[in-house]
Amino acid sequence: MALGKNLRRSIALGGQYAGLIAFAIFTTFPFVWALSVALSADPSHIWDFPRSFLPTDISLMWFERVFKEMPFMTYLKNSTLMSFWTIVAVVVISVLAGYPLARLRFPGRGLIFVGIIATLMLPSEVNIIPNFITLRNFGMAASHLQEVLHLPDDWNMREWIGLNSYFGAIVPNFATAFGIFLMKQAFEQIPQDLIDAARVDGATELQIMWRVLVPVSAPSIAALAIFTLVNAWNDYLWPSIVMTGKEKLPLAVGVFNDLTGPFATSTSLVMAAIVMTVVPVLIFFAFTQRYFVSNLSGAVK
Amino acid sequence: MKTSSSYTAIAYLFLAPALILMGIFTFWPVGFNTYLAFQDYSLADGTSTWNNFAHFKYIAGEELFHNALKNSVLYLLIVPVIQLSALIVAKLVNNKLPAMTFFRAVYYIPVITAISIAAVVWSNVYKYDGLLSWFLQALHILPQGQDGQIDWLGNPHIALYMVMLFTFWKGIGYYMVLYLAGLQAIPAEVEEAAILDGANVFQRFWKITVPMVKPTILLCTLLCTIAAMKAFQEVVVLTKGQSDTYTALFYVYDQGFGSNHNFGRAAAAGVVVTFFCMILAIIQFRFFGDKK
Repeated sequence: MALGKNLRRSIALGGQYAGLIAFAIFTTFPFVWALSVALSADPSHIWDFPRSFLPTDISLMWFERVFKEMPFMTYLKNSTLMSFWTIVAVVVISVLAGYPLARLRFPGRGLIFVGIIATLMLPSEVNIIPNFITLRNFGMAASHLQEVLHLPDDWNMREWIGLNSYFGAIVPNFATAFGIFLMKQAFEQIPQDLIDAARVDGATELQIMWRVLVPVSAPSIAALAIFTLVNAWNDYLWPSIVMTGKEKLPLAVGVFNDLTGPFATSTSLVMAAIVMTVVPVLIFFAFTQRYFVSNLSGAVK
Repeated sequence: MKTSSSYTAIAYLFLAPALILMGIFTFWPVGFNTYLAFQDYSLADGTSTWNNFAHFKYIAGEELFHNALKNSVLYLLIVPVIQLSALIVAKLVNNKLPAMTFFRAVYYIPVITAISIAAVVWSNVYKYDGLLSWFLQALHILPQGQDGQIDWLGNPHIALYMVMLFTFWKGIGYYMVLYLAGLQAIPAEVEEAAILDGANVFQRFWKITVPMVKPTILLCTLLCTIAAMKAFQEVVVLTKGQSDTYTALFYVYDQGFGSNHNFGRAAAAGVVVTFFCMILAIIQFRFFGDKK
């Protein structure tokens, strides 16, 4: 009887792990194949399954060729720049907006909060048309200003805030309902005594926020920053519409355009570029993955 | 002590950046889009003229738009499949056995990969001599040799389902994490008691797990339904609308930024999509509004 029970339990456990491994293969097989192809100096086996899951003649030559044949470092620089400023803007705006919604009483609070949450229901993808026109107008206003003020021609202010500008490619992502909601939730957890004590000491609202609320909510802010980084790094559609010049493209757009365009001469080269694009995200994710789980769990509650 | 009117000023000062940006890039577009839908917009000089519902009349009679709507409705098939799979996977990783953190992380990898980058690999998987053909041939589901090699994204009968499979692969980790949060709220004693009563795995899943995570199932189903109705980036990066894979929002994108740059017509189609999303949002409020 005892033996039968143990046997049953180990069969169940084996079945569970078999399911887990099968599903892990489903989620990772494209990347495993890409890695193996990228590492193989000899491309003759890449369509020869399952042989192609093991690299032939391991070498890094395809990675070197990616650097030579694609402006990979330019894309990397653009992605870094755009992600960095998106994180700064999202965190500052969400913290600023979260504080009054969580801790201050003022007329219109309920309405503003409902309005912000309502944006989650709108299909934001439809906004690409009006936002494109808005940015074009921004650019025209900027170049008009440049003319009026007789600023030097080579400043090209149209491309500072209009189409084909870093600013234009990231600015619609700055104010997000998710970020404001997350910071509001975090600030609501803080005991009122802490805020009252600071107020008695004569602190201004900005000081209360910066000296009291922000340090205590550091984990939530970190979670928001990490979440924003991944979204900004992976953003494909909007930058692909706004950016017209190749020299300003982020990785997700530049690598895709190069790999599906006329440069895509060799599958090995393509896969090497893919691996190089995915690996930084994976390394970052490996260190921060607990934030993703806790972050989303918080959103559900 | 400060008066409440000074709080009002401070509150609005702090909210100003968020409200201004949301105003310009979220609320204004809704109004401007509706305006554009009734106009002939010229991209060259930025002028627009009233056209007496011409865009709506056009898309109401256009087969391409009808197909796009039909495909968007077909896309909803993915909702129950993702939800059931995500719940089962969440159940498998919701325990204290070794390596569970590893598996959770691995299942989340597709979610944190850029859609464009993942699509490049998947278009190789879907090639006629690619991984998918080989896999099904190895299982003897497809005939060996040339006959069993299918151009998965080139065949109008199956291309849309292949795009849906890609969405499934990309999205399941996200819903798994949401279900994991729901499952962790179930006390372990409930399941232990059911095991003692002799309930088998399937009975425990349907009679205990499913009822207890019902709120999460509702939330995820609605999130997933809205996401499925809005699906189009997959189409942009995988097929560019070829082989009968237009979805409603891909039609919007293609009219605006494809070859004809017809912003007015794109806006009109966008208004139709927004209308359907609003209906879903109202349903969502009916479900969750009174509980909060």
